[in-house]
Amino acid sequence: MGEIDALKKQLNGLQQEAVAAFAKAENLNELQQERVRYLGKKGELTELLKGVGKLSPEERPVIGQSVNIVKQALANALDAAEATLGEAENAQRIEAERVDVTLAGRSQQRGCKHPLQNGLDELTAIFTQMGFDIAQGPEIEDEFHNFDALNIPPEHPARAMHDTFFLKEFTDQPMVLRTHTSPVQIRAMQRFLEAGNEPPLAVVAPGRVYRCDYDMTHSPMFHQIEVFKVDRDLSLAHLKGVLKHFLSAYFGKQLPIRLRPSYFPFTEPSAEVDIGCVLCDGKGCRVCKQTGWLEVLGSGMIHPNVLKSVGIDSDIYSGFAFGLGVERMVMLKQGIPDLRLFFENDVRFLRRMGS
Amino acid sequence: MKLPLSWLKHHVALTDDVATIATHLVRLGHEVEGVEEPRAAVKGVRVGHIVEKIPHPDADKLSLLKVDIGEAEPLAIVCGASNMNEGDRVPVATIGTVLPNGLTIRQGNIRGETSFGMCCSEVELGLADESAGLLILPGDAPIGVEVGEFLQLEEAVFDLSITPNRGDCMSVRGLARDLAADSGLALADVSIDPVPADASVSVPHIVVESGDDCPLYLGRRIEGVRVSDSPAWVQARLIAAGQRPVNGVVDVLNMIMLDLGQPMHAFDADRLSGRVSIRTSGEGEPFEALDGRKLALPADDLVVADESSVVALAGIMGSGPSGVTEATVNIMLESAFFRPARVSETRRHHAMVSEASMRFERGVDPAMVAEAMEQATTLILELFGGRAGAVSVNGSADAINTKEPLSFDFDRIEKRLGIKVPEATDAVLSRMGFGVSRSQGRMTVSIPSHRHDVSIPEDISEEYARIIGFDAVPEVLPTLAVTKPARADRSIADAVGSGFVQAISYAFISAHEQRMFTPDDGSDIVLANPISEAMAVMRRSGWPGLLGIARHNMNRQQPGAMLVEQGRTYEKGGQQGHENSSHRETNIIAWLMCGEVQMDTWHGKSRNADFFDMKGALESWLAFRGLSARFMANDDLQGLQAGQSAELLIGKAVVGSVGKVDAAIADHYDIDLPLFVAGINLDALPAGKIPRFQPLPEFPGVERDLVFLFDKSDRVDAILQAVQRAGGNLLTDAHIFDRYVGQGVPEGKVSLGIRFTLQDAKRTLTQEDSDGISASIVAAMEKQFSAPLRG
Repeated sequence: MGEIDALKKQLNGLQQEAVAAFAKAENLNELQQERVRYLGKKGELTELLKGVGKLSPEERPVIGQSVNIVKQALANALDAAEATLGEAENAQRIEAERVDVTLAGRSQQRGCKHPLQNGLDELTAIFTQMGFDIAQGPEIEDEFHNFDALNIPPEHPARAMHDTFFLKEFTDQPMVLRTHTSPVQIRAMQRFLEAGNEPPLAVVAPGRVYRCDYDMTHSPMFHQIEVFKVDRDLSLAHLKGVLKHFLSAYFGKQLPIRLRPSYFPFTEPSAEVDIGCVLCDGKGCRVCKQTGWLEVLGSGMIHPNVLKSVGIDSDIYSGFAFGLGVERMVMLKQGIPDLRLFFENDVRFLRRMGS
Repeated sequence: MKLPLSWLKHHVALTDDVATIATHLVRLGHEVEGVEEPRAAVKGVRVGHIVEKIPHPDADKLSLLKVDIGEAEPLAIVCGASNMNEGDRVPVATIGTVLPNGLTIRQGNIRGETSFGMCCSEVELGLADESAGLLILPGDAPIGVEVGEFLQLEEAVFDLSITPNRGDCMSVRGLARDLAADSGLALADVSIDPVPADASVSVPHIVVESGDDCPLYLGRRIEGVRVSDSPAWVQARLIAAGQRPVNGVVDVLNMIMLDLGQPMHAFDADRLSGRVSIRTSGEGEPFEALDGRKLALPADDLVVADESSVVALAGIMGSGPSGVTEATVNIMLESAFFRPARVSETRRHHAMVSEASMRFERGVDPAMVAEAMEQATTLILELFGGRAGAVSVNGSADAINTKEPLSFDFDRIEKRLGIKVPEATDAVLSRMGFGVSRSQGRMTVSIPSHRHDVSIPEDISEEYARIIGFDAVPEVLPTLAVTKPARADRSIADAVGSGFVQAISYAFISAHEQRMFTPDDGSDIVLANPISEAMAVMRRSGWPGLLGIARHNMNRQQPGAMLVEQGRTYEKGGQQGHENSSHRETNIIAWLMCGEVQMDTWHGKSRNADFFDMKGALESWLAFRGLSARFMANDDLQGLQAGQSAELLIGKAVVGSVGKVDAAIADHYDIDLPLFVAGINLDALPAGKIPRFQPLPEFPGVERDLVFLFDKSDRVDAILQAVQRAGGNLLTDAHIFDRYVGQGVPEGKVSLGIRFTLQDAKRTLTQEDSDGISASIVAAMEKQFSAPLRG
């Protein structure tokens, strides 16, 4: 038997021995040790191959082929053993890491916006999307902006109906807490014109307003949104179009609207606006007093005296305006029965109704 | 205003049903707040004739009745009343009737006896608040007819909300005119011939000194009246319209006011001394009003006076002593026109409202002043006797409310309404009293004397709108302008993201609460007419409101509170060039944290809020808008506890403050858990920067930790600034990762671990780089703070 045959035999022996050892390894660590032992840099295969040097150049490729076969066989055996052991170990780890997914998550509790804030944000967004600019004005107002410029002179009966809060000690001119957001109409128009602009002008003005009235259905502070547009050739039809669009958008369904003639000093003609009852779809319920309609806001075409008070020529321009109570809108949308809940600020209520 | 249908039909022969009339009223601008239908409310109740009455065999207080209601057989009825006898006629509610109190009449069995209806009292019919037993009807009441018809109960009473511009519709006549014009039915002519003067009766001597404020004043004496209660029909009308009968003369005048809209007044002529003048009051002049109030008048109220005293606040209220009583024999009637603004001014000044003032301040119809005088005189003579003298007429109706006819392009109306207005509509306007003509697109409209509210073409557009109805107007969206997109205010949203619940509280607080966080320096804005002491002052801090809300919630088993509010604060003293120079409104956001900020969970223990929870919330909120602030300890912040309070600075500007609430204040709100507040002045914040692009680092950074022993008084911001300086450009971050006081750390010292990151955009840092920088940091700490490196 020549050198080469002996070598081949040794290779075969090594292969059998190693395959058996790989299969016997009980974990990946042992398998690693066995791999090093047979296939490592100083392992048995390397050791064995030192004998190749003694072979003739013709024999070397032959033995080389055998070596490759053995190496491949060992690699396969190693992979197989590794896969088996890996699977088992993975299964063990997974079992050990099992959690009760029904335990509460480790989260920071989020707060919430006040339901009125949601109402203000939603309503304002509808108008900004329709091209209205947001405007603000002071809550402590002079009587010119709150009344006179809005065509409510001092002796006007409507002025007495406003339940105005008056403020002490303003000696230069008497000041009041604004009773509505309509004075922002005047201020926004004044600012707009002072900046050298020409209509069209479209404004949405959300804010707090105050009335000296406090009972089941009245809060001394509440929120309104004033909406108006001034342009050439605006008509009642445009007012109705905007009302229909925004009311349907806010309540999320196509709502019938109804205008009833009414009276506001700052609009002519004036109309109260009703919507088909959102709770019963107009069929008649307790909230709409069986009428199928809900009164939601006051509106009209801006009175020429109001345009005149800021210097807009009412022969050229006309405008529409309306003001809505945010509390009422939110109450209708979310079925909130009592206005006072908004200002009690019970966190349980806020969390349930806000978002 | 209550409008009985029968009264309305006196002026216009309406045939529509109640619901249709209500619809027309609403379309015409007269809001119907409710409709009472007294007759329909007792439908099913019929006149019955008691043909037999025997005691109930098993109940002492019950009777068994046989009642004839005009059917084949009399009804057997068990009745608990005792005031009826055989032969009486009584109201009988038949089976199925629903009475005004909601009771449905059913066939019933009462102690073994079947009852087929119920005999009714006035209370059960809704006619009175109390009654002693059954309503016994007159003996000639026709058996079987509906009681509502027999008693002539009102078919309907409309409860209307008349808008303040329509003084003319504060009368049955005015409403009738609108309805008649609208329907095309005729408005009945109710005018009467003037009462001939009895020459034996003197003409009152009247002097109108204030002609501008009283352009028309009529006075007439009626002598020899016998004032008694007014007759039933007058009382019934007044009651139906919601008014209380007083005495005959007053009732007649009230009825005429409700009918025609012209308020009148009657003086006891024997209590007037000398001539009557319409003049302005002198300062301090006494006046004893009909309602018992004793006033000292200011100078310049418009009054009616005799030669000794003021006998009426013109158009508002007469005096008690000069009023008509049952004992009055001679009267002086007043019918006048007082200028609306003048009545309004005086009425507001004295906070005195009357049916008369409501009409005068809205403007009465000058054309009705004389008519009302004649109608009142006629009725008084008819009902209470007496002789009427000639009328003293001062001024003229023609001079009042004269407006030039309006002339305008008709196009203007149609453009405003967005619809075509058919010419046929003009006829309705004419029937309302307007003079209307159209020619070549121009329209000319004369305004009737009762329409004080109409003065410009736009007012005419409203008339057309209510005649045609808003329903006819289409819905058209205007062309939309493209505008700058509004940048949403994220103030609340960001705070909500950090766990805070938004509250909204009243802008007014109590004076006591105002002093908690702001000094008494004359900046308070105080309400002149507050709802209560608790809502008396405009807030200068957002904290009292939040504290009240925290208390409300803590009282309801909440273990803690995290609240935020955005709003304004209000102070005297304004900024130059601002919209209001007399005061300042500041946009603020305020936070409150109290009690538990973390609850017991399976993974952690509960924890109460501390200063750094509050501070952290502020830091994240600022970071959301690309800002960071320096926190400067300040022991002098009012209402905050020294040592746990700070101001927030951005650049050199103070933008807010934060701190622990003083124990005394916490006590006031009954809160005994750690309580922190913070506030930021939104107007003082710089706009956050829009981030500019910077390439991400390509080369890895190096992180190093160093632990030093500092004095407790060393400030972390100063330490980190020193680290930053020592670290130079390569130091990209440094923060405290560990803080330790206790065993191994000497008294007065604190161990702080500083973790810093080094990074270079152009290369990977070497060991030498980081060793070098570490060494300079160590040196800096030693030099500046004498802080040695710990082991």
